[in-house]
Amino acid sequence: MKQRRKLTPYLYSTPAFILIALVIVFPILYTAYISLTNMNLFHWADYEIIGLENYVRALTKVDSGFLSALLVTLLWTVLNMVIQVVAAYFIALGLNREGLKGRRIYKTLLMFPWAMPAYVSILLWRVGIYNTEFGLLNKILVEIGLSKVNFLSTNVPAFLSCMVLNLWMALPFMIMMIDGALQSIDRSYYESAELDGAGFWVKNIHITIPALKGIIAPSVIMTTFTTFKQFDIVYLLTMQKGAYSGATLQTVITYAHQNAFVSNNYGLSSAVSIIIFFLIMVFSVFTNRGVKEESNE
Amino acid sequence: MTMKRKMSLLLCGVMALGCLCGCGGDTQTGNDAQTNADAGTEAAAGNDAAGDAGASGEVTEVKIWHDGDESIMQTIADCANEQLAAESVHVTFEKKTGLTDQLQLYGTDEANGPDMYLYAHDSLGTFAEMGILAPITDVIGDEVLGEMLPMTVEAGNYKDTQYLMPVYYETLLFMYNKELWEGEVPETTEDLYEYMVAHTDADAGTYAVVNQHSTAYNVAPFINGFGGYIIDKDANPGLNTPETIEAITYNQKFAALQADGDYNTVTALFNEGKAAAIIGGPWLVSGIREAGIDLGIKSLSDFTLPNGNALAPYSGVQSIGVLKYAAENKKDAVAKVLTAIASPEVGIALANQSNCAPANDKAYADENVAANEMIMAMKVTAETAQPMPNIPQMSVMWGPAESLLAAVNKSGANVEESAEQYQNEALTAIADMQ
Repeated sequence: MKQRRKLTPYLYSTPAFILIALVIVFPILYTAYISLTNMNLFHWADYEIIGLENYVRALTKVDSGFLSALLVTLLWTVLNMVIQVVAAYFIALGLNREGLKGRRIYKTLLMFPWAMPAYVSILLWRVGIYNTEFGLLNKILVEIGLSKVNFLSTNVPAFLSCMVLNLWMALPFMIMMIDGALQSIDRSYYESAELDGAGFWVKNIHITIPALKGIIAPSVIMTTFTTFKQFDIVYLLTMQKGAYSGATLQTVITYAHQNAFVSNNYGLSSAVSIIIFFLIMVFSVFTNRGVKEESNE
Repeated sequence: MTMKRKMSLLLCGVMALGCLCGCGGDTQTGNDAQTNADAGTEAAAGNDAAGDAGASGEVTEVKIWHDGDESIMQTIADCANEQLAAESVHVTFEKKTGLTDQLQLYGTDEANGPDMYLYAHDSLGTFAEMGILAPITDVIGDEVLGEMLPMTVEAGNYKDTQYLMPVYYETLLFMYNKELWEGEVPETTEDLYEYMVAHTDADAGTYAVVNQHSTAYNVAPFINGFGGYIIDKDANPGLNTPETIEAITYNQKFAALQADGDYNTVTALFNEGKAAAIIGGPWLVSGIREAGIDLGIKSLSDFTLPNGNALAPYSGVQSIGVLKYAAENKKDAVAKVLTAIASPEVGIALANQSNCAPANDKAYADENVAANEMIMAMKVTAETAQPMPNIPQMSVMWGPAESLLAAVNKSGANVEESAEQYQNEALTAIADMQ
């Protein structure tokens, strides 16, 4: 009877397990298998297992740009996350200010960039904002008597341009999360603090931020992952096939795409994928540990 | 309570079975495959698929996958089916986005894959190396290919085997707005450059000539004209050869007067009347006509470089390849379809209805085709145009070649140093394919 009780939850979960096995586990295992073979264009049907050779090749590529791509990715992630959380925090505070009129309209408008398909947003920015002939920024520069600037042709301006676009696209989500969290804080804390003479900064540092930390942690983690593995913005703005902008900006994912996925070498591409998979796993272990420690406090 | 639990377990079981039933889809496909295979076998047994079908009144379907303009395919299908009406063979075109990937998946799958495909010739090497194609000469005779322009036939040849039958082709052209262009269009690239210097005001946003100056396909007329190459037949990249460097350096001064060089930018500049001329392909024509521009066209072969050579653009030849299983099981039906599509009638229909330059040389004898300025300009260009390389390694060359062009034209990088850097990247990319 006890044994049956132990088994019942597993029986209930069987459909979900099967689905997870088919949709998530099988592709990972199959990719791992392919990464051990020499499957490529020249060995399409007659591929064979070659051991860890593809991993050795993938890792020895480290000297040809992987490290700089990793550094760019880390810088990209840190800068984006810091600016995003800080900016979203203050915008959300503004939206929650007592007596603010048209709050719903502002919130709806702020959601717009997030609701738009990423591909459309990125191409709109490429043509509508950064383009040398039709872009808003260059129109303004020419109007005030300055020369046109190609914002995407060299690395630093291209990095900043990508970052501005990423913030435009990602801020609404963070604002929404912080806005929701702010509304869950009991107003009585603020009333007591005000009675004790607390000002804006004291209330924020000692009440709002500690109360928010636990609630917004999952969204910060999720956004950190999304930012770390960002591909669309950098690729579509600077290195879209047939429309290279001149910048040589690489993140880990664009680097992997350029070095492995255009070659039709499925063995090597799979090895690179598995390495990235493990990198993200390690990254997630650290972030999860951080969250656990925080919630234990 | 027990009833509820039993019901829950039953539902879980049904859901679990439902998940696994997804894997059962193949059964039906398998049956279909069996049916098709049986049909194929029957046809093969009779050694005359179309003949048998004709005798029994059944129509043999020949399926062609493509990734192009559906109206063009419809023109080919209508014209070919008219010719095939008496043969009990019917051809259908099916659009597949990302055709290369689709053929990699279905190229050996007789049940779900096509009998033939129609696509640009440059992916030939990839399919040939995968071993999914039958030589076209196994299906049709040399007399069919003999009617085609030599450049278009050459495009479908890989490692001395003819795999493709050309249908129509595209090359870059010099297109100008007759209302904006002042005087005659120059005969030499140096005169063209002088015209550009005199008629370009980048700050005002007006240009004499625009071009996708950092796209390898659009710079190829210069590279080929200077005797350089992006990759040769033996898969050696040539980004750092003196001839290629000379061509890229020469193109650099034109690029400085051609705006950003992005496809959307240059097309919009020309269509909005801010650029007097554009170097582009026939795919731009419909947009240009919609913009109400009085279009003039000149072949790029009519421009002479300082070394005395004509500009030599790449050509992309839309060709048909036959999948191995179709060549084995539907040989006669496939041959009849290919012969019909190769006919001058299809070529004339393509030129008159879809503005395509036919591969069949005889089609140009038609009065209307001969009067079509754009098609005749492409025919002139076909004499100096070089088919895009069709070796598989070309697929990894676009990246390094275009990165080199963008570095030089957009970021102001040194040509020689960049050429070395991207030559090395190209070598790595080619090595990574193995």
